[in-house]
Amino acid sequence: MYRFELLWIGLLLLLSPGKDRWVIADASNLVVNGSTNINKFSCEIPSYDRLDTLTITRNGKGALLSGNVGLNVQSFDCHNSMMTRDLRKTLHQKEYPRLFIQFLSLNELPGLTAKAQSVTGLVNIQLAGVTKRLEVSYQISADADRTIHLLGFKTIKFTDFNLVPPSKLGGMIKTNDELTVTFHLRIRTI
Amino acid sequence: MKKILISGLLTGCILFVLSYGGLFLSVRFFPALFAEYNNPLFNSDGNRDLLFYLHAFVFSLALSWFWDRFKSLFHGSLLVRGLELGLVYTLVALLPVMWISFSALDVTLVMVFSWLIYGFIQATIAGVVLALLNP
Repeated sequence: MYRFELLWIGLLLLLSPGKDRWVIADASNLVVNGSTNINKFSCEIPSYDRLDTLTITRNGKGALLSGNVGLNVQSFDCHNSMMTRDLRKTLHQKEYPRLFIQFLSLNELPGLTAKAQSVTGLVNIQLAGVTKRLEVSYQISADADRTIHLLGFKTIKFTDFNLVPPSKLGGMIKTNDELTVTFHLRIRTI
Repeated sequence: MKKILISGLLTGCILFVLSYGGLFLSVRFFPALFAEYNNPLFNSDGNRDLLFYLHAFVFSLALSWFWDRFKSLFHGSLLVRGLELGLVYTLVALLPVMWISFSALDVTLVMVFSWLIYGFIQATIAGVVLALLNP
């Protein structure tokens, strides 16, 4: 399956010179930090189970990005089986098994050095069938192995995506609306 | 019947304040005990909150009927009669329900035990109030 996709990516490369293409490695992850009125929680998708590419095109000082990352909601792990199931239920995992991050642009073309560079960019985040366009802060760096590290940070709200933050015991235990999402994409240039 | 309803409703009001006030304070001061409620077994979208808060009245009306029917079997001071009703309710109703809950649901022993104690305290308070209102 992956061989066929790699062949397809190779063909695309040949047909569109001048654009940089990045392939997302499976060691990429996403972490969601949140809190309730009684505790804090941290849920992560520890690895990426698809072979997706991002295309970066220079556009003046900035860059256009295109590419979609689809993360499996079933892969969320809150390090507590009850909380994990609760988060999946809140995100309507049965109806919407994947959450998507569609990359749109970067305000600045990163230098890709060992020193992390701060840039911002626009993404569309689709969660439980609702899509929101948001500005994300990134730290971009490249290591000696030529792997690009794209660290994205964004605070989102359950209610932005028409999701109801879970509450229990008649509202006595409430999950706070705000979530901090951090994703770390490990990318190789192809 | 009127006496059962009135004493049941009054007991419900008192239990409502004490039960949910106590629960609110417990969540505030012993948050770790309630972390296990982040569990999909418990309703999370708020559509049954009203039913949750009506529990004190359902409970009190049921106990008010029971008290009117069997109060002659409970002797002693208000507190003793209340405690006896609490024990009877715990043994006859709560214990079997908690047993089946623990065996069938993905809940912890601590959680089930806390429900048992909570129910016993509720029934004891209801017993004291019912013994006062409908001696």
